[in-house]
Amino acid sequence: MGRQVAITSAGFSEHASKRSDVSMPELVNEAIEDCLTKVPSVELDDIDAFVNGNMPAFEGSNLPELWMTDWMGARNKPLMRITTGGTTGGSVAIGGYYTVTAELPGIDTVLAVAFEQQSQGDTSVGLASVAYGEISILNSLGISYGQLNRLLSGGAAIGVAAYQATNYMSKSKITEEDLARVVVQNRRNAAKTWWAHLKMPDLTIEDVLDTPYIQYPLRYGMVCPASDGAVAMLFTTEEKAKDMCDIPVYVNGVASVANETAVLGYDGSGSAQVDPSAQIGAMKSAELAYSQAGISFPRKEIDYAEVYAPFPNQELMWDEKLGLFEETTAPEMYETGVTARDGELPVNCSGGVNSTNAIGASAMERPAVAALQIMGKASNQVPKTVHTSIGSGWGGSLNFITLMVMSDEPKRKWK
Amino acid sequence: MSKQTQRKSMKYEKKEYKKTRTMEANWYLSSYNYKFNITHMQPFLKKMKQKKLIGNKCSGCNRVFYPPRLVCGECLVKPDRWVDIRETARVATYVIAYLKNEEGEVEERPLVLVQHDGCDTTSIAELAPGVDVKDTYIGLPVRAHWKDEPEGGLEDIEYYDLMEDDAEDLQ
Repeated sequence: MGRQVAITSAGFSEHASKRSDVSMPELVNEAIEDCLTKVPSVELDDIDAFVNGNMPAFEGSNLPELWMTDWMGARNKPLMRITTGGTTGGSVAIGGYYTVTAELPGIDTVLAVAFEQQSQGDTSVGLASVAYGEISILNSLGISYGQLNRLLSGGAAIGVAAYQATNYMSKSKITEEDLARVVVQNRRNAAKTWWAHLKMPDLTIEDVLDTPYIQYPLRYGMVCPASDGAVAMLFTTEEKAKDMCDIPVYVNGVASVANETAVLGYDGSGSAQVDPSAQIGAMKSAELAYSQAGISFPRKEIDYAEVYAPFPNQELMWDEKLGLFEETTAPEMYETGVTARDGELPVNCSGGVNSTNAIGASAMERPAVAALQIMGKASNQVPKTVHTSIGSGWGGSLNFITLMVMSDEPKRKWK
Repeated sequence: MSKQTQRKSMKYEKKEYKKTRTMEANWYLSSYNYKFNITHMQPFLKKMKQKKLIGNKCSGCNRVFYPPRLVCGECLVKPDRWVDIRETARVATYVIAYLKNEEGEVEERPLVLVQHDGCDTTSIAELAPGVDVKDTYIGLPVRAHWKDEPEGGLEDIEYYDLMEDDAEDLQ
């Protein structure tokens, strides 16, 4: 393993459905400014390298990093760009971690930026272009476009996530009320977070259940919004971190796991992920990251979790798959308030992806919030002291998982 | 039905932003030529013409793929043994879509993925027209309904008929 990496700051831009007042580089600049004001001793000159990422197909501007080099302060410095679909943000954060831990000569401090301005383009068209290769193969084998359109009729990611929801609901025997409860917790939390998008302080379960179905079992009220927004994170070495802020957050474990696709198979073949909610990839990523961080009892040792969940069923499912709760017990935890802000194990106090979803940025907002909760600088700070937290990401056809484990103590060295 | 179509917006705290200049632009995408290996599909498509279902079996992990797959991702070998697959299947997972039909009315239709008996994969399928959405559940037994004259394509199975659930007999 390379050297120890620390996070010293994280910043956000304001998120809204249409940030009509700023262009894409200005949006990114907003997040960088918020990130650097939290560490007054750091100037732009102190940053040695940059990692940048978004999903270009959603906004219709290819190679946006060329446009925003100056806006990021990256002139004459190394700049790397990462795009991995839904997990873009998670991969950008992991990219920042790798750049520091690699001990490259002269590179100590790295700024990672992830952003998305979805109001510029059409997300459904962007997603269709991603799936088009697979769909045209099925079409060439005799399945009509009409049937394929119906398969993806939910639009965007709902088309595949709804299958997962049916499976999870029948496995854990929950009703839509349990799903609505998760949404209510998230959106009420979002109301206390300054940068969140869907702020609904007075939302009730009845309000959510009153909205029409988009695709059974997911209702309009349960589905994530499409936001414009950006997020920035500052990674540096253990020694430099101590000068920059009071409580540096150490990255103790990262994992990025690709599993077989669910719902759509490869090259027109069937998918061997018969149960889309089985999520072996998520369990594998948890195993990898926790073993790096030396966590043997995740339920006891993790104090705070940010789970990438655009849909409420996914939040319940990933809470279980990442080892926070026993299988099928997550709905009870939301009912009894264990996951609330003042509960035993708070989950998604920023409102989660369910309230704010700027796709490229979303998966990086999770580790960013989780790090700020340890520093005590988060917008909706939990009352208890957070020592260890996790931030996860999800993407692809239900098959890519990223995970980052952070702590206020450096990794234990086993010798 | 009307309740399903109406879009009820939810109240949330909105902030008004000033408007900067907006330019409209389009991407005129050219056509692409995706490369795709079909050799492993040929025996399967030939059998479809005779109203028979086959899948290929990986000799490493013994998984049966239907429709066939070129390479098994777990064992990294080409599945080379062909095995017969039954016409009966079970619904592995489903959702309900709300789509407008030609007359402009919203129709509830179940979208299903089925797992054929004798294979380890799911495939895209349609249930017989007129199936009540409330009857759909995970594990629902169904049977393939063939076209009158199969042409050797995945659409030769027009839809899946419901079968009587024999689960009680097993008790």
